[in-house]
Amino acid sequence: MEYYTQWKALISSGEEVTFWQNFYVKFYQAFIEADRWKQYLNGVGTTLLVTAIALIIGIIFGVLVAMLRTAHDQQLPGHRNPLLGVLNVVCSIYTTVIRGTPMMVQLLIMGMVIFSSSRNFTAVGALTLGINSGAYVSEIIRGGLMSLDPGQAEAGRSLGLGYIDTMRYIVIPQAFKAVLPALSNEFIILLKDTSLITCIGGKELLYAAQGIYSRTYEAMFPLVGTAVIYLALVMILTWLQGKLERRLRESDRR
Amino acid sequence: MIVVNDLHKSFGNNKVLCGITEHIKEGEKVVIIGPSGSGKSTFLRCLNLLEMPTSGEIIFDGVSMTNRKTNINQMRQKMGMVFQHFNLFNNLTVLKNMTLAPVRLKRMSKEEAEENAMNLLHRVGLADKANSFPSQLSGGQKQRIAIVRALAMKPQVMLFDEPTSALDPEMVGEVLDVMKELADDGMTMIVVTHEMGFAREVATRVLFMDGGSILEQGTPQQIFSNPKEERTQIFLSKVL
Repeated sequence: MEYYTQWKALISSGEEVTFWQNFYVKFYQAFIEADRWKQYLNGVGTTLLVTAIALIIGIIFGVLVAMLRTAHDQQLPGHRNPLLGVLNVVCSIYTTVIRGTPMMVQLLIMGMVIFSSSRNFTAVGALTLGINSGAYVSEIIRGGLMSLDPGQAEAGRSLGLGYIDTMRYIVIPQAFKAVLPALSNEFIILLKDTSLITCIGGKELLYAAQGIYSRTYEAMFPLVGTAVIYLALVMILTWLQGKLERRLRESDRR
Repeated sequence: MIVVNDLHKSFGNNKVLCGITEHIKEGEKVVIIGPSGSGKSTFLRCLNLLEMPTSGEIIFDGVSMTNRKTNINQMRQKMGMVFQHFNLFNNLTVLKNMTLAPVRLKRMSKEEAEENAMNLLHRVGLADKANSFPSQLSGGQKQRIAIVRALAMKPQVMLFDEPTSALDPEMVGEVLDVMKELADDGMTMIVVTHEMGFAREVATRVLFMDGGSILEQGTPQQIFSNPKEERTQIFLSKVL
């Protein structure tokens, strides 16, 4: 604290300081002065919350859309359900539009047009990210469902289990294991994409960093610090993925 | 018990079944033989509607399976099916494989289902595998589990779709033994197989299929010792 004020005065008066003195001042400014670390911490909290909400929305949308589309594709010729046909069209419009437009544009449209009266930017951001993620997740899950031996579902149906039960207890758990690496990839992208909600005023990690360097006029430390925090979060996520994969591989023991 | 009336099935322009009419009575052990591509498996899969017939009627236990208002899931509970490739649920233990359907479909409580499953496992000598996963079992073990999984639903009829075709030769015997025991217990069975020895020993009736229809049928004695159709004679001369 003493050193900080002392050396800062030196720098502002234009005197020569050592590299380490300069480093210390800027680091202090970026993270410690005025308890700024709390802003990063709050930012990380929001980032994780947004990721979690978006993840849940994404999985629900993804599973629903994937199940509807595979159910539609697996119908027997001559026994087509018209309702399923309509839903299939809705689902394919959803994936086409979401995958065909940039994330940033979607955020701006949601924030500035559809929910322009809402002040809760973080919630709007989480919702948009969830809807976006759902489109990608649905394609990943659809791939997983299609990769599974149809005999598994047939065996379930031959026992008298309904379509939903067969999906829930037999097909989805196995498909989930197969798509876990692709799904983790999507979730890592999702975590990092939460930084985009800054553009509609969502108060996550990057927003905190921006607020700090706009005050201190020193961008390097807040931005590099932010990058390090994201990296750490992603590494934790990757570690969790590895653990989950090992647990799911339990049924592969030989 | 099962009445099949003028059953047709085509995949696109490929006619696989061309008008099958058949009546299978309770307690019968019907073995279907024939060259590959003759429609045996398709016929079997039509019986529990895993394949939707193009036309024709199937009546099981007095209820029309092909009627769209029929609750197919309920009907399937009464028909066990065993597949060529076992199709055990790879994500579940052997015990869970056997209890999932009875418990989910509220046929039994969890405890009852587990007790029933363990009894069945004892019968096929695999009680020690109750907590194993399918990937830890040999082919013969998998198929025996697949049979008792179907039996766990206490079905009225069992359908076997080439149950030994995917097995190593040394494992065929153990599966056939289970099937013979089941036949001795009086189960109604419909078996598609290439095991002529099994057909001769267990069948009450043998159907010979070729080109999507039943060319000839009779007791094993008639079919194997004295086939009437030339096609049957050629087929048997090749496999026996």
